[in-house]
Amino acid sequence: MRDGKRIASASAALLAFFILAGWPGRAFTGTFRGDKALGEYLASECVTCHQKSGRQVGGVPAIVGWPEDQFLAVMHAYQKGDRENPIMRTIAGQFKEDELLALAAYFGSLKPQR
Amino acid sequence: MTTRRDILIGSGAIAAASTLPAPAVLGQAKPRVVVIGGGAGGVTAAKYIARDSEKKIAVTLIEENPNYQTCFHSNLFLGGFRDYASILHDYAKLPGHGVDVARARAQVIDRDKKQVVLADGRRIAYDRVVVSPGIDLKYDSVPGWGKEHEERMPHAWKPGAQTRLLKRRLDAVPNGGVIVMIAPPNPFRCPPGPYERISMFAHVLKRTGKTKSKIFIIDPKESFSKQALFQEGWDKHYKGLVEWLGPKVHDGVKSVDSKTGTVVTGFETYKNCALVNVIPAQMAGAIARDSGLANQTGYCPILPESMKSALDTNVFVLGDSTIAGDMPKSAFSANSQAKVAAMTIRGELIGARTFPARYANTCWSLIETEDTVKVGGAYEAKEGKITASSTFISRTGETAELRKQTQAENMGWYAGIIEDMFG
Repeated sequence: MRDGKRIASASAALLAFFILAGWPGRAFTGTFRGDKALGEYLASECVTCHQKSGRQVGGVPAIVGWPEDQFLAVMHAYQKGDRENPIMRTIAGQFKEDELLALAAYFGSLKPQR
Repeated sequence: MTTRRDILIGSGAIAAASTLPAPAVLGQAKPRVVVIGGGAGGVTAAKYIARDSEKKIAVTLIEENPNYQTCFHSNLFLGGFRDYASILHDYAKLPGHGVDVARARAQVIDRDKKQVVLADGRRIAYDRVVVSPGIDLKYDSVPGWGKEHEERMPHAWKPGAQTRLLKRRLDAVPNGGVIVMIAPPNPFRCPPGPYERISMFAHVLKRTGKTKSKIFIIDPKESFSKQALFQEGWDKHYKGLVEWLGPKVHDGVKSVDSKTGTVVTGFETYKNCALVNVIPAQMAGAIARDSGLANQTGYCPILPESMKSALDTNVFVLGDSTIAGDMPKSAFSANSQAKVAAMTIRGELIGARTFPARYANTCWSLIETEDTVKVGGAYEAKEGKITASSTFISRTGETAELRKQTQAENMGWYAGIIEDMFG
């Protein structure tokens, strides 16, 4: 589920945040390049299944608070067919790179609620 | 007769009658959106417009029922995979997003005056109205069956008492009892729904050892959604229990008699049936038809870029009552369409940014415990309709592990869409 997961920056502050926030309540403190408003609209398609709160229920993973490069890597893996799920291949397949960046910016800005 | 006092203009009137805080400045001209129908389309639209406009748009949701029972996953209730409470939801959190929930029945839309007329005669003015009433049943589409027979031969294709009635009737089928389903013609709500329901019927019979029973599906269609997947599943899990008959075989339903439990087709007569589930032909909900939003098909034409009615630029129609091109009539579709409508309305009324319409849908179907299949797609406005840009469907012969994952996804989606609508 979580392959391709990388942490963009391992600064002490970031590590301290992870420790304070705890798993899975981590948040990305790096920068995002995408258009967050576009991301918010496109994300409305995602949040029918993936909860904005970051709550994971059943077989639908949480996708909030990820670093940009991880979000892109996962979506690219679906686009290339490295990952199997046909729903996610279909959803990821329709997004252009600027739209993926926008989604990464929006979901990355959300903090998982616990 | 309508008195001047009954005509509600502006944002205070309905709000005063409910729990919503009073508008910030009385007399301030705030654009008003009225949403008719508290289902997957209406609730999503109301919440998204109110929440994302940050109270710059007054949103009233009109719904006559205090609760919403989802039709989606009601088959899982029939099969014993969910309890009834788990498919029942209320509107309590919507006011927190700025939605004024008015418990009333909307009768018709006075499109010339831009007012929604309630059943009690009151009127609510709107700048934009969103119509999401779901389907109505064509009670005259099955010979010998009508509204007066729905207790003896339930449809359970609209939620509530009918869903619970069908569950009781299913559980009471004796070993050796015959079940007949009369399936609906296209287009209808939830294309895989009748066949998932058949799977749940068979699951209950098998689980309770009633293996001398038999289920017949009398279908007016030559083929149906996920047919190869369902038929593979029935053969694997319910061998000898389920028999599907297409129109070339049965030559049509000639008559039904709810008193004797009889179904007469051109091929065979089924007598003393323990349960007959009649799912009749369907059309857009009454308010959409009565307000002149449907065409000769009985459903409502829409503009694929916005979900606007093709017949009135101030009206948006969502979900099962629309002609939505390649999108099926599903809660997922209605929820997706609502987001396009909400964005368009915010753009028109308060100048919010808008983007090209994108739509998505997935329909999961449970065949047997942990054996779930799915079909879906992504859609866009193209060639004057909502057109699939990409689609997928489960394959026959998939591993048990994959089918189990698909069921976990199904449960995750249910929790997700409920949170998206009501959370």
